[in-house]
Amino acid sequence: MKLERNQTTFHQLHDKLNQALEKTSEKRVGLLTSITGGELATLILSPKDGTAELMVTPVENNSYQSFSTHHAQFHWFERAIFDFFGIIPEGHPRFKHLLLHDEYPQDFFPLRKIDLPEGFKNVLARRYEYLEVKGEGVYELPVGPIHAGVIEPGHFRFSCFGETIVNLEIRLGWVHRGVEKRLTEVPWQKAHFVAEAAASDTALANAFAHAIAIESILEVEIPERAQYLRTIALEIERLAVHIIDVGGIGTDIGLLGISSAMGRLRGKALGLADLLSGSRFLRGFIFPGGVRPVNERKLSEIKAGALALKKDLVPVIQILSDNQMATERMKDIGKLSKSLAHEFGMVGIIGKACGISCDTRQQFSQGKYPELAPEPTLASGGDILARTAIRVGEIWSSIDTIVKLVDACPHGEEKIALPDKLKANATGLGIVEATRGELIHLIFTDEEGKICRYAIKDPSFDNWTAISIAIRDNLIADFPLCNKSMALSYSGNDL
Amino acid sequence: MIRLITYLLQQGVATVKNICPDLAEGVRGLPMLTDSPCQNGCTACIDACPTDAISVFKIEDNNHVRLDLGACIGCGYCVDACPTGTIKNNPTTRVAVRTREELILTTAGVAAQAANKEIVTASRRAAASVAGSFAAKIPPADSLAKAKWFGRSVAARVVSTGCSACDMELGAAGNPIFDIERFGVHVVASPRFADALVITGPVSKSMQEALVSCYGAMSSPRVVIALGTCAISGGVHKGGYAEANGVENILPVNVYIPGCPPHPWSIVHGMLLAMGKEHLAPAPVSGLVSAPVSAPVSAPAKTD
Repeated sequence: MKLERNQTTFHQLHDKLNQALEKTSEKRVGLLTSITGGELATLILSPKDGTAELMVTPVENNSYQSFSTHHAQFHWFERAIFDFFGIIPEGHPRFKHLLLHDEYPQDFFPLRKIDLPEGFKNVLARRYEYLEVKGEGVYELPVGPIHAGVIEPGHFRFSCFGETIVNLEIRLGWVHRGVEKRLTEVPWQKAHFVAEAAASDTALANAFAHAIAIESILEVEIPERAQYLRTIALEIERLAVHIIDVGGIGTDIGLLGISSAMGRLRGKALGLADLLSGSRFLRGFIFPGGVRPVNERKLSEIKAGALALKKDLVPVIQILSDNQMATERMKDIGKLSKSLAHEFGMVGIIGKACGISCDTRQQFSQGKYPELAPEPTLASGGDILARTAIRVGEIWSSIDTIVKLVDACPHGEEKIALPDKLKANATGLGIVEATRGELIHLIFTDEEGKICRYAIKDPSFDNWTAISIAIRDNLIADFPLCNKSMALSYSGNDL
Repeated sequence: MIRLITYLLQQGVATVKNICPDLAEGVRGLPMLTDSPCQNGCTACIDACPTDAISVFKIEDNNHVRLDLGACIGCGYCVDACPTGTIKNNPTTRVAVRTREELILTTAGVAAQAANKEIVTASRRAAASVAGSFAAKIPPADSLAKAKWFGRSVAARVVSTGCSACDMELGAAGNPIFDIERFGVHVVASPRFADALVITGPVSKSMQEALVSCYGAMSSPRVVIALGTCAISGGVHKGGYAEANGVENILPVNVYIPGCPPHPWSIVHGMLLAMGKEHLAPAPVSGLVSAPVSAPVSAPAKTD
């Protein structure tokens, strides 16, 4: 996809950000990171024409004036940049470590390529301090990192007054495995396996974004059939995740029949993935240059399977949405206002549930999108009910899209041969609408054509703050359901 | 509610009676080695492997393949690359084992046994040096012999430390199709009343302390199950700065379930193994694979 790369000063970057983040602006900011530790790299997206601009801003004295004071969206990005590169955001309202924990040595910045400046003074202790809410009757409830069920690890520190949540501080990074660094260490031909390991239920979307980014560096076009098959795979992954997440809503409300039925039906969606790729998680299906071969018989079985699945899903979802108790548990709970969602740059289901049109399938080139993109699913409530409605809406649109794409899928080659080397000093960008929202892979190569920096922005990274905001002043008993309605990824966030 | 119950009754029984059947055709399992001789000088499988799970060695001028299923992510690239059919897709879901050595397959069979043992010992020694800071806190391992205590049921505590694909497959193993609870396996919310500690993911630096406290909170006898390739060896994350090199660096492991992620049936098989009830999942008679899996280098451990 088209990416313009510009060198800017901080002054210009400030102006650009102010413009791009205005309420009426047609642009938005994809991610903020660094390449070597000596600069900031800001990705500004223009959804209207499907292009992107990368602003590279040199950092002097290893620090800069924090953007978070004006643009809340960056408050985690800036903390992550400090964790990995050691660049200090002066005046950050809540400056502390984000993903690297107390176990790592002081002044350990794993992605930094250049030396720390002479006399560098680390202003931040390694030890993490939680925000303490003071006042009579306020108590703290720590949950995690190991949770009660079979879930990824994360720590939630609730400060409550009676049954009401006053503040929720989320501490992640427990599953930080160094994926971004690893992606620069392996040969690029094998990097897609590492990209897939970024997050399990987003494995396909990660491989997809990786492939788009690598192909944009190589400036190659892949065959039409591969584009169709990639898009079908993306929708199968979305379908499977949405089914289990709607089932999870059933679990947390106490409608175990719904969750057991949905668990069984997710198995059918995974069966479609098995048919397409030989793997329930679509592992190894997409790689730079194309996809694994798929025969016509399997494609027609996928179509029949998708239609049968729709028939099976209708009664279960009908029972859930007709259940008044379920609706009452979801309505006006965990509400997020549209203006806050905009300010914090929420994407995906959470953004769509607030009425923000942020579906990248209609905006950026990925497989057969935006050409054959389904109609956007939007809601306005911003509550659990709205988020569940978005999921249900996307289940139907995914099934319809799979059927449409299988019907239109042309014959032909499934992959092309790629050159041995990546282009030197190039930048590659891949944007994919994963189940949870906008997933970005940004790759930089050095003068030898090796990957020198690999940045992944999982939609969950934008959205984790949404839980803290949405659950404030709600009852603690509503937290599990609110959390489930967002169903964010820990591993995709921690990388 | 009545509608829901009626619907569920109409759906009938979804649970599969045939336990741990082979995978359907076209579905990728883990690779296996066949008797078909390896071609001298060929390194196609090594070049294709993303996790260095394969190595080639020579015995009397003949090429032999060593395949570590504990490092394999089941991508199937070696199967596609192998020109002699020495490496093939293995459709079995009964892949769990009790010792790390059993996961290392070789075409040379017994001849390579000593070498394999050395490999495992060396990697354990390296692991022990990494885990130095934790060694003092870790209570000694229970041998699986005591696992007959859990013959009828196992209360499992699950600690996730990875990408969560294994968690989702473990969740799937609890759904009506696989129904792992019918074997007496249930997931519990506290280590205090757990018999088995199931660990998914490569256990990177940030989770090591939490994992050790969880293990320490369990009463003896207890077993540790490493679920998935990351938990066994670190998988694609091995060797990075986050020290995500698998469970064995931190805790003694009793059962290994390879796969990335393992199929829900493989998880069922692993849990049965931990309970000493693997006879419930015998090899399918009709579905025998065409070529025999090369003999594991050490004899399967007995339960007592």
